[in-house]
This record gives sequence, structure tokens and C-alpha cells, in this order.
Amino acid sequence: MPVESERKDLLLSSEFMARLDQLDILSRKLLAGKMKGERRSKRRGQSVEFADYRNYVIGDDLRFIDWNIYARLDKLFLKLFLEEEDLALYIIVDVTRSCDYGDPNKALYMKKVAAALGYIGLVNYNRVSVVAMANGIVDETGGLRGRTKVARMIDFINRLQPQGAGNLAVACRRFALSHRQKGVCVVLSDFFDKGGYENGLRYLSGGKYDLFTVQILSPQEIDPDLQGDLKLRDVEDGDMAEVSITQPLMKQYKANLNAYCLAVKDYITRRGGTYLFASTAVPFDTLVLNYLRERGLLG
Amino acid sequence: MMPDFLNPGIAAIAAGIAVPSLLLLYFLKLRRREVDVSSTLLWKKAIQDLQVNAPFQRLRKNLLLLLQLLILAALLLALARPVVNHTQRAGKLAVILIDRSASMNADDIEGKTRLDEAKRQARELVDSLDKNGAAMVVAFDDSADIVRSFTSDRALLKQAIDSIQPTDRRSRLKLAFQLAEAQAASFNPEQRGPLGPKPEIWLYSDGRVLDAPELSLRFADLKYSRIGTADAANLAIVALSARRNYERPSEVQVFVRLANFGPQPSGAVVQLSIDGIVPPGGIKRDLLLLPERWSLEQREKAEKDQKLLARDSAEFRLELLKGAVIRVELKEQENDALRADDAAQIVVPPPRSLKALLVTKNGNLWLEKFLESANLEKPGVVLGAQYEKQIGETQQTEYDVIIFDRHQPTGLPAAGNFIYFNAVPPRSRIEAATENGAQVLLRDHGVLDWERGHPMLRHLNLRFWVQETLKLKVPLDAQVLVEGRQGPLVVLHRDGRSTHLVIGFDVNVSTWPTSATFPIFMDNALQFLALGSDMDVRQSHQPGATPRIPRHVLQQAGADLKRIKLTDPRGNARFVNVPEAGDFALPPLDRVGIYQLDPPLPQYEKIAVNLLDPEESNLLPIDRPPGGAGESVAVTAGKSRLELWRWIVAFGAIPLCMLEWWVYTRRMHL
Repeated sequence: MPVESERKDLLLSSEFMARLDQLDILSRKLLAGKMKGERRSKRRGQSVEFADYRNYVIGDDLRFIDWNIYARLDKLFLKLFLEEEDLALYIIVDVTRSCDYGDPNKALYMKKVAAALGYIGLVNYNRVSVVAMANGIVDETGGLRGRTKVARMIDFINRLQPQGAGNLAVACRRFALSHRQKGVCVVLSDFFDKGGYENGLRYLSGGKYDLFTVQILSPQEIDPDLQGDLKLRDVEDGDMAEVSITQPLMKQYKANLNAYCLAVKDYITRRGGTYLFASTAVPFDTLVLNYLRERGLLG
Repeated sequence: MMPDFLNPGIAAIAAGIAVPSLLLLYFLKLRRREVDVSSTLLWKKAIQDLQVNAPFQRLRKNLLLLLQLLILAALLLALARPVVNHTQRAGKLAVILIDRSASMNADDIEGKTRLDEAKRQARELVDSLDKNGAAMVVAFDDSADIVRSFTSDRALLKQAIDSIQPTDRRSRLKLAFQLAEAQAASFNPEQRGPLGPKPEIWLYSDGRVLDAPELSLRFADLKYSRIGTADAANLAIVALSARRNYERPSEVQVFVRLANFGPQPSGAVVQLSIDGIVPPGGIKRDLLLLPERWSLEQREKAEKDQKLLARDSAEFRLELLKGAVIRVELKEQENDALRADDAAQIVVPPPRSLKALLVTKNGNLWLEKFLESANLEKPGVVLGAQYEKQIGETQQTEYDVIIFDRHQPTGLPAAGNFIYFNAVPPRSRIEAATENGAQVLLRDHGVLDWERGHPMLRHLNLRFWVQETLKLKVPLDAQVLVEGRQGPLVVLHRDGRSTHLVIGFDVNVSTWPTSATFPIFMDNALQFLALGSDMDVRQSHQPGATPRIPRHVLQQAGADLKRIKLTDPRGNARFVNVPEAGDFALPPLDRVGIYQLDPPLPQYEKIAVNLLDPEESNLLPIDRPPGGAGESVAVTAGKSRLELWRWIVAFGAIPLCMLEWWVYTRRMHL
């Protein structure tokens, strides 16, 4: 189907997907999956790969005692194996209207990143959930596993439309309540929320999730190309701001933007999350192949 | 000094349109372009931050409007064309005093004379007169004339100012001040009180007045406008005298002294002419004049450093066998501001030796010796009886002077000059007092006082003793020249065509002949009686002088003289009526030069009028008001009205405009 392939190409080209095949999602935490997956978990478990020995204590499963050692040394040792399990990967995409802005467009950029991450997750037999968030949870894919679900995931991402104003707090709370399984949680957003980003991120930065945030801004937001007396309209809520662009004002805006990003980063890192800033001017593949690997999300 | 507005109406209309327009524009919101942004979150925060950081935020909101209103106000003010008058406004009652003296003829104010400038300023003052104010115009030199008494009619005042003519006279202010105060007081008696507004006296002068120390104003304010520039160049003849040599009457010595009243040392060329002809040696070029304003140290320094040798006087010696007018002129002068002092004339009478006759009782050694030595043409000595026989009551005598020594004549020639020693004129009102038929003699007599200014007694210090003298009865119109302790000693009396000099005592019984004053007095007396003046060369007059012609001179010219033609130096003639009796005073001779009389009166055919006054020739104006009291009013030559609109635009509107732009670019709107 040509339309689908176009759509697919829009987000991920086949060459890029081939490169993504090399990568896997890493988690810095011990996360318990529901099913056995392809993932070597840090938990000791029942896979065929030997990990270590330890002394037997009463109550241990007798099946894992290494009888050969017992025969030789007359002591009971337990054989430990690496556990293989599946990993929950939650990709939360901001679909508020504020993301449909900029050139290159922020929303498209976010979709591409989400598709790439989702693809990696599916290929590695992780349980991937793509969640669209605006004023609450707008839509989600439910848990997908396996390479066969790639088309469905990409289709889902393609269908996402920017809508309404965002409310990070409501959305994150809803997400946290409905997704109890631990996992890696990637949030793609500009974090421009008039209600404040702190309330929302609070729900995600608990012990449950390995939080990974990417703040995506367009070059027009980082260095606005505005002049004269303007009436600025907020695309989310239609709020107006009358400004006369002057040098001090531009200076102040940039200083504020910088401070805002730093505050977000600070908030997240202090709660054990990882923060990454990305401009849509940075090529998408560079972000995925370089930056995300450097930050330890991919490996 | 409040500015006046030349077109306030237009400015008011413009203000009516522009101010509401500006306010309207200000209240209309700025039309802004709409631009979509992802979020206004950061923008609003930035605006808030800026506003929080900016102090006087409230003020800034309306600062632009305030500035624009100020700019508009400045422009409207400029449109109204405000002007400031340099000349101060005259008060309710102003007396305009205009100096018309010689120094005001100096043309050092952009080619115009000082008098022209004074008139111009005075006319402007008239323009500034209050509607119900009044002014009076007085012109003064060494006298003062009311040209126009108090009036509110500006046209009449200006006409009066324009009618003032320059003179070559000197400046005296006292009379003008008295006149001004008296007129102001009589015009408006309420002003006399200490509470009423004082009349203002506006004085337009260069401040060179002779009587400055005597000046005072009791109930008027003086406003002095100094006219003239400090660097006007002027070389002047300040002294001129001509004298016939006593030994050789055909030789005339002329002395000239010059002064430089300019700022720089200057050479001078002096030319002498006799009746218009320059004699050989009549030009002197070697004069060098240092500025009079230099101090003694400056002069000495200049003489030492620049090897200048100041020479400010010249002497000419001429052979002159006839009477003539000698004119001395400064030549080759280019920047001289004042012409009146560049030439001076003097009338030299023909050489003449006197004829004198001594009629003595029995010989008098002193008088005979004097006559011998007096260089007279025809000295004669006769005894009394001989005189009575020879001359007696003849109509005419060839002698200029007849001296009676202790001889009481019984008859005199019809006209003549007579000196009496110990005798009195016959049939005259001057008599010797008698008691019981005998003459009263005053004994042990001495000099009490004498007329020090009289030509016969000038420079003499009379100290002599008289053993006895006649007691003289002196009529009122006679002049006592020497007053003794007990009565008059020497009396001058004119009677008809005769002049009598009566000396009441015999010189032989006095100590006078032993004093040097006696021969000098006698010589002066002969000259005076014979020539009617004190000098062998007739004096020149100051401008404004009214020479007095004695009756006998008129009678010599003819008894029925009714009027005399007086021709002034510029050739304008006028007729002057001769009074029936008494001496005849000519009208004031205002201009320098030679005045001529027709018919020519003996010794008064030509009358020389010269400035010869260092005070008038000095053109350096004085800054302080004369008399020291009063206010100096600074008036610059030329423009007296300053238009202010350029300054308002340059220093008001344009800087405000720049400030407004700066504020505009700095501020931002929410």
C-alpha cells in the first residue's frame, strides 16, 4: 500500500530503521517485566545464561542447587542464572497545539523520535506503549510487542493530531494511575505548560519509571525572529500578549528561556531522571543515533 | 524682561488644532500585527521582568505623552515668534536726554554718528512707551533745551528727536538734570512724594561731561545708555595760540598742541595755512602721538622698547605784515572719528604799535621810563598846561592812550582811552569825594583784593603800599579792579565812546613802581585799552560762546547800525538785530570755524570758534553713569530686538525630540 509506505517513510526510512536495528533500550533500574522477554535483565532468574554462585540458605529453590559442587565439596551452593524478561517502554508524546509550531515542525519531530524509539523497543521485544497527551491522555496504543507491530505503531503515531491546550499535571497523573508496570518512560514535550511542569513530572519521577525527558523546541522559539509592535497570539489557548520588540526585551526573553530550560533540567535530574534538550534544527537522526546514546537511553 | 509675541494669534489657532490631535493620537491604540507563537508564557514573563526592573514605571507610562506635549509647546511657542527687546521699556514718565555735544559727532558706530545712534535708541524707547505714559525730549550740550515737553504723542516725540541738530559745544549735564526734574515734578505733582513712582531720566550720551562731580538727582531714576565705542581713533588739536613777537611785531609765532585719543600710537601731519594759502614750511610731519589713555609707565615703556619719541606739539614762525586768519589742520587722517577737532583757526590782527601820550604835572620818572621801554610807536610826554592848550577838547586824537599823571584835565577828546593817576575824568560820574571843598585823601592804604581774572591783572600778585589816595566815588556800572582796605584803588569805567582807567594815587607815593607788577600792569593796560582785549592776537572762542561786543565798537562802526549779518562757517547767513543801548551779545556760535560779521565791526570782523577741548575730543565713552548714581542700560549697536524662536527650536524642541525618541526606543508597551 503506497499510502502506508509513504506514511512510514515520513517518520522512518528503511535505511534508518536498519540502523536502529542495532540499538536497544537501556534501563538503569531493575525493572520487572510480566513476561519473559529477550532482554537480559539485571535480575537473577531462570535463563540459560549462568551468572554466579551463592551459598544455599534455607528456603531456596532446591532445583537450582549445583549438585556437582555438592559432590565435590560437600557444600550446598546455589547456581544463579541471568533473568531474561520483557521491558515496558512508555513513550509519552505531547500533542498540544503548541507543539504544532516551528520550522522544522516540533510535532513532526516528536513523532519521528517517538517512532524511532518505538521501533527500537518493538524490535527488541519490549512492551511499547505510545501515549498521546494533551489535556489528559488523548490516545494510546496499549502494549505492543514484536516487530510485527511496527506498522500499527507507526500508523498510530501518524494519526495523532495536535489538539487543545495542555495540562501536564492531569495527563501525567492519569498515566501514572493507569500504567502500574515499571518501565522506561520517555517524555517528548516542549514543557510549555502554563500550569507548571513540576506537578506533572512529579508523578513520573517516582521510583516506578526510569524517566527520560526530551525537551524539544523549534529555532523560532530559541531565537525568535520578530520585529516591531506585535500582538502575540498563543496558539494553544488564544491568549494575547502585546509586545514592542526591543533589544532589552529580546535579551530578557532569551534569558528567561534559558532559565526555564535549566529549571526543567534541574527538576528532573534531581529526581533521578535524565533531561535532554533538542532543537528541531538538529537533524533527527543525529539526536537518536548520537545524543540519546550518549545519554544512555539507547545502547 | 518678558518676551513679546509677534504672532500669538496664529500660535493659538495652531495650539487649538495640534494639542487635541496629539492627545487623540495618543489615546488611539497602536495597531499591532498579529503573530502566532507557541506560547506566550515566556513573553509575558519577560515583559513582567522588564517592568519590574524598570523604575518609575508609572511615570514612564505617560512620559512619552508628556515629552510630546513639551515638544509641541516649544514649537507653538516658536510659532508665536517671541522677541526680547534689548532696550528696556520706558516707564510712565520718561525724560529723554540726548547729548548733542561735539563728541557726539564722532562717526564710530558703523559709519553713523553717535548722535544718530542716540536718536535711534531714543526712538525705540518712544516705541516702548506705555500707552498712557508720557515722555519729554531734552537736548543738551553745555546748555539744555526742551525740544518737546511732556506728551504721549509718539509721532511728536519722534519728530522732536529727529529735529535735534549736532553742535560743537561741550557737555554739561547739570542744567539738563535740573530741567528734567523740574519739568517732571510740575507735569505730575504726585510724583514728588517719596511713594509715587519716580520719573525716569533716559540719558543717551558718551558720558564725557564736564560737570560730572556736581551732578545729583533728587527724585528721578537715571538710566544711562552709553553711546560710542572704545576704540574710535581720534587725533585732535587741543591747544592753539598765536602771538606776535614783542620785539618784531611783523613776526607771528604759532603754537599747536595735539593729542591722540585713539587706542594706538599715531603719526600726525599738521598743515598751517594763512587765509587759505600754505606758506613755505607750513607742513610739519614729524609728530608722533602716543595714546592719551596710556599710563605714564606704558608711555615710557613704548618709548624705550619701540624707540618711539613722542612729540605732540609744533611751532611755526611766520612773517605776517597784515591781519589774517591762520588755520591749522591735521592732514592725511583716515580713520579719524571726529572732524570738529581736526582744525583750528585764529584771527591775527595786523601788527600795530601803540601811540601813547603822558600828560604829567611835573614829570614822572617811573612812567617816563616805562613809556621809553614799552616799544611804543610814538611815546610823547607833555606838561599839563601844554596838553590843555594843544589837545583840550578836540574831536579826534591820534593817541591810542593818554595818561594823566597828577594832572586833572578840564577837557577830553570826544573818544579815546585814558589812564589817570591821582586824578579823575572831568564831567564824569566817577568822582573824587570832597569834604568842605577839599578832596578827601585816604592815608596808609594797602591792597585788599583785585580782579584776578581781568586781562589787565591776570597772573599778577599785587602787594603794595600807598601813602595817600583819592577817595573815589564809583558809579554802579564801573568796575573796581583793585580794592584797597579803605576803598577802591583802581577803577575801570566806560563812558560813551571813552574808556577811563582811574588809579586814585600817585605812583611816586606808593611802593608799586618798585614791584615788577607795575610795568606788566601798565603794558596790559595799554594793550587792553588800545585793542579792547588782553592779547595782541584776538582770542578764539569756545563753541557756544556768545561774544559780547562793547557799545563803543558798535559806535565806531556807525551810530545807526540796526542789524548785523552773521555768516557761520558753513556759509549760512542770518541777521541779528542790534539793541538800542548797551553792549551787544552775539547769538551762540555753535559750530567750529570762522564766523564773519557784516558790516565788519573793528576787531570783530572775523570770529574764530575752536573746539580746543581735550575733554570733548576724548572719544573714550565712560561706562559709569555721569554723577555715579543711576543704572547703566546696555544697548548693543544695531539690532535691539532678538527673535527667540530659533533658540527655542534649537535648545528646546530638537533636544526634546531626541529625548522622546530615546525614551520611545527604550520603552515597551504591554
